[in-house]
Parts: sequence; C-alpha cells; structure tokens
Amino acid sequence: MRHLKPLNQKADRVVTAVETDKMDEVRAMQSVVVGCTATLDPGWEVDPFGGVAALCQPMEADLYGCSDPCWWPAQVPDTINSYPDWGADADNASKDWRSLGTVFPSDSET
Amino acid sequence: MRNLIAAATAALALSVTALPAIAKDLIVAVAKPDRLYVIDAKARKVQNDCKLDFNLIPGVIVMSPDNKIAYILGNRWEDVFGVDLSTCETVFSAYQSEGDVRRKSIASLAVSKDGKEVYTVRNPVRLHADRYEIMEPEVAVYETAAGLDAEPVRTFPAPRRMTVMSAGEDGMIYAAGHEIYAIDPKTGEISIKIKNASWDRKTYSPPDVLAFWPIGTQANEFLLLYSAAKFTDESMSEIADFVWGYQSVDLATGKSEMQDFASLEVIMFSAVRDPNDKSKLYGVYTQLSKHDVETKELIKRVDLPHTYYCINISSDGTEIYVGGTNDDIGVYDSETLERIGEIYLPSGGDMAASTMQVINTGS
Repeated sequence: MRHLKPLNQKADRVVTAVETDKMDEVRAMQSVVVGCTATLDPGWEVDPFGGVAALCQPMEADLYGCSDPCWWPAQVPDTINSYPDWGADADNASKDWRSLGTVFPSDSET
Repeated sequence: MRNLIAAATAALALSVTALPAIAKDLIVAVAKPDRLYVIDAKARKVQNDCKLDFNLIPGVIVMSPDNKIAYILGNRWEDVFGVDLSTCETVFSAYQSEGDVRRKSIASLAVSKDGKEVYTVRNPVRLHADRYEIMEPEVAVYETAAGLDAEPVRTFPAPRRMTVMSAGEDGMIYAAGHEIYAIDPKTGEISIKIKNASWDRKTYSPPDVLAFWPIGTQANEFLLLYSAAKFTDESMSEIADFVWGYQSVDLATGKSEMQDFASLEVIMFSAVRDPNDKSKLYGVYTQLSKHDVETKELIKRVDLPHTYYCINISSDGTEIYVGGTNDDIGVYDSETLERIGEIYLPSGGDMAASTMQVINTGS
C-alpha cells in the first residue's frame, strides 16, 4: 500500500482495516445487494464483477433509465419529482447530452 | 354514375373491413417526447404513429386482452391512460393523486384477462407543509368501461415495494415485491405465490430481482430473473457460484416454478421465453443470450451495439426484439442470434425504461 493513497473516506477505511487486521469485516459492495427500495438503490461505483465493463454501454443509453425511475438520484437528477423537466429538450440522450445540465437545489430547499 | 361508384366503393370498403385481419406481429413501444408507435414487426415499418396527450414517463405498457388498447403508466409514474391503437385516441384515464396526497405506481400496472378491470398498486404520500407523511400502499381497481377520469371501484392494502405485475386467467394478480404475491382483486386477499426475500434456500444469498418490464405476454407467463450467490454449504462462508435463475407464474394455470439455469457471467435486465418452446430463454442487456433452461446450457451469446433494457419475441418464436434505452429496436434471428433488422423510431427520442410489447393480430 506504500504507493497507493486513499482518495475517499471509504478507501481510507479500507486502509485502516488493512492496518488493524480487520479486512474480514470489509465486504465488497458488489457481493451484497443493498437498496432502501426496489428503485432507490444508491449508485453503484462498480459493476457486479468489480469493474465497469458491465455497466450500461454507452452511459447515454442508461441516462433516462436512471433519471426517469430516480435510480441514481445523487448522480442524475430525478424526473419523477424534483426536476421533472430536466430532459425536456433532449429527447435523445446520445445526441442531446450537451443540453442536459447540472442542477442545484433552489434557495428554498437549502 | 356517381352513386354507382360510391356504392361500389362502399361495397369494396365493406369487403376489406369484413375480411379477417391478416395475422401478423405488431410491436407496441413509446418514445420521447410524446409518441406511441405501432410497428409491423416483420416489415420493420411503423404502422401507427400516435401523439400522446400526456407525459409518457415511465411508459410502462400493458395491453388489453383484445390487443386494441395500450394501457400506459405515465405522468411521471402517477396516472394510467388507455390509448386506442387504431385511432390514437385516449379512451381511458385514471388520475391517482388528489389534493395533498400524491400517489405513484412503480410499474405496478395490469389488466384483467377479461379486459374489464385495470389494476395498479399505488404508493400514497401526503405532502404536508413541513414533512412528507408516508401512507399505506394500496391495490386500486378501476373499471375500464369508466373511460376518462376513472375512479377506483375498490382499494385494498398492499405490501410495500411493489413493482411489476400481471393478471392471470384465474382472476388473480401476480405481483413482484419482496415476494411474488398473489392478490385477489375482488377481496384484497394477498398470499405469497413464490418466496423471494424469504426463500428457504439454505445455501443461497437472498435473490436480487430487477422487475421493471411486464413482457411475458407471448408465453402467457409472469417471468422474472433473479441472481444470487450460491455457497458451498449452509455456513455460507465460501461462494460456489453466482447464478441466474428465473421465477415464473403460468398465467393460464396459475402454476409457479423457480430454478437456476446459468452462472452469472453477464448482466441481463429482462428475459422472455419462447412461447412455443419454454425451454428456450432469451435475456438482454449489453449482450443477447440464449439459454436452454432444461439442460442449463448457454446456447449462444452475442454482443449488442449498445445496451438494451427490454426484450420481446415474435409469436412464432423466430425473431427476438431488443428495445428500450435508445431510439432503435434491434431484430435478431432466434436461432443464430444474427442481427437481421433494425427499426428506428421516427421521433428520434429515447425509449428509456419503457415497455416494448409484441401483439399478434388476426389470429
């Protein structure tokens, strides 16, 4: 681990687990399905095989499949409730993705 | 003379309409921003292009038993609309939210086998000024004859986390949630048809089930895939394999079955079985796979140009259709899995997570 540095808190905890000999307590997310509801899973960081090749290809094919069902609400604005018109002028995600912007909570929501 | 021509034309028109419709498969799909397409599957041509008068998200489609009306879950998972395929007219609507109560259905839509009732499971939330109040989910029963602005004629408490469902010929609704439930829409009685989260397979992890596309109509079954980790023994300390399996309720007989059929080598989002040979199962995602579920053999697998969510099959089992995600439907030979055609939807909009149904006319 000498040449690797954790980039986020989760990775930092893995390093700590290695140093304290607690790797048995670390469980890779891809082997455990954890969802608060059927359609509100937190966004996967990797595919079930530990890589990214088995994520949807290309990601534009998956974009509205994620925003319309509120599947990755932290990564893609949900069009169910919060940002219903997010994709209004971009019917084809593969061609129109430049029209899809970032969203921010309004003042009344912060 | 004019009258003669008019009479002859009328007679010809009558004879054309009186002829039995030529049996063919039609693909029914929706695409952004507002289109419902009826496509001649073998001709690869759009036959009807309907402009919808409601928001089509998510576009879950369930057909009436006579294949004349497409019932669509729209308005961002809230309301149900029935669209006459021949006229494009919206002939049924049910607005589920009212006042400060918002009701969403997470793909829970079914039509009774006699075509008289539409079912949803809806999840109410009361929107207070300072908080959301989560209310009890409910089965809602609508009469299709109610037409526009239908109100439920019956409601019953439902389990949480319900997604797709189908109606059986025995009058029951089979619905996917933590378990595969059987719901009696007359009494509201609910029982577990297939154990899922509570299954008692001692050497398996709980199953992971993606239940989004109510597409088993060709084989007349309610079929879902599951994946699970299989362990070497009941201590569950060592994983032997990750497996694919299927759960199915035969909508003609109500008989259910569940079995593993393959190792989990690729992801599959949806699957159908050949209506004429149920040992053959086709699954789709970024690959198209053909399995024999009896011999548990992977017959063939091919890479696709891009990921597709939703699969369906022709009534004779010779062609496989892959859709959802983008604006194209890929056509594959079911024997060779060769790409033999493609259909681009005229609006150029994405199908996203919507349903792609196949119906057969004139039979």
